[in-house]
Amino acid sequence: MARVRNDFEGRRWQRFRAWLNEGDTSLDSLLMDAVDGRSSAPQPAPSAPESADPGAVNHLPLSAVQARRARAEKFSRGLYRTLAVLICFGLIGVLLATAAALPPFGNPDNPVHNEVSRRYIEQGMAETGAVNVVAGMILDYRAFDTLGESNVLFTAACAVLILLRLGVSDRVRRWERDLDARLYEPQNDAILQTLARFLTPMALLFGFYIVLNGHLSPGGGFSGGAVMGAGLILYLNAFGYEKTARFMNYRVFQTASCAALTFYAAAKSYSFFTGANHLPSFINAGIPGMLFSAGLIPYLNIAVGLVVCCTMYAFYTLFRKGDM
Amino acid sequence: MLEWARFVLSALLLALGLFVLASGVLGVFRFRQTLSRVHAAALVDTLGIASMFAGLIVAEGFTPASLKLLAVVAFLWLTSPVSSHLIGRMEVTVNDALEKDMRVDDPEAVRREKEGE
Repeated sequence: MARVRNDFEGRRWQRFRAWLNEGDTSLDSLLMDAVDGRSSAPQPAPSAPESADPGAVNHLPLSAVQARRARAEKFSRGLYRTLAVLICFGLIGVLLATAAALPPFGNPDNPVHNEVSRRYIEQGMAETGAVNVVAGMILDYRAFDTLGESNVLFTAACAVLILLRLGVSDRVRRWERDLDARLYEPQNDAILQTLARFLTPMALLFGFYIVLNGHLSPGGGFSGGAVMGAGLILYLNAFGYEKTARFMNYRVFQTASCAALTFYAAAKSYSFFTGANHLPSFINAGIPGMLFSAGLIPYLNIAVGLVVCCTMYAFYTLFRKGDM
Repeated sequence: MLEWARFVLSALLLALGLFVLASGVLGVFRFRQTLSRVHAAALVDTLGIASMFAGLIVAEGFTPASLKLLAVVAFLWLTSPVSSHLIGRMEVTVNDALEKDMRVDDPEAVRREKEGE
């Protein structure tokens, strides 16, 4: 089976070399439609350009076609290299200028050593109700920053979806996928399944524990969501797509991440209008250290964890299969 | 006296773990075939980590922290051999020159693995 794949790649590569080097115009139409050309038409002889369909390129002698292609290749390569170096130096210049404008390290008058961090450390627990000061910062004082981060993650997931998801009519890529090596991966491995039966619930439970205790102990939505996503990926690897799709598919991904982000935005986007100032919360901050305390923080943690978990799983399936 | 014995035992276990880790890293970089390299890497995750953590547990005594170390060892012993096993199966599936690289005792099983039966 692996031989089939190697043969497939070898044939396409040979054809591309033939098209590039020998000026074989008969391949132009075939390269446009790789599926039909590969499955039905026999490999055309590279030395017989007369037998191909008449095109504009065919009127030129073979050497002229070759020379033109070589010139174009050389020009585009030079252009890319020049642009890459220019952009790279531009970026380096911008970053160096920024670094030079930073205040010196360790200076007590630096902008970071102001009353803000002292306030966070000294009164964070009393004001937010979160024992974990970091959780109090990122989900209460600076919650609108975290909203932006969640949106970045969601946008990245959307971009990956747009780039990698296979449509129904995308025959070429679907067909290439079927020839891919991962089809011949060991499937239904008994050892892995035995382990996953034990470890997947543990991973999900542990991830949920991290998310729920985000305001009490180190952790929170991002790390707990990553652990839960890893548990889902383990289950997927052990039992395959059909079984996983019963509880985790595109609809679930869509619903969960959109609902979580909408909840977060509804809870915290007022900061954009009040200029990052607080509004009095109607949820009681509770006793610090209890599970149901710290106002909105546990619920925001759950929302972030859902987004992260779904995004991790979506990245994995999209890169591996091109679908969910 | 007991403190000294504990220290020596812990140091010995740590030294053994370091030796296993070093030989595993050497094997990963120096072996030529995937299956040999998988073997070296699996050694690090099982025996190497286990003896390092056993040394740490002896030094720490019976505390919640050492229980957590035990949990880490249990987790790695569960997962690392399984991942090595999967890498080995994948290698047998995709490597067409397996018979050239090594002696294959059961060619029929290798063929079945390659065909995905």
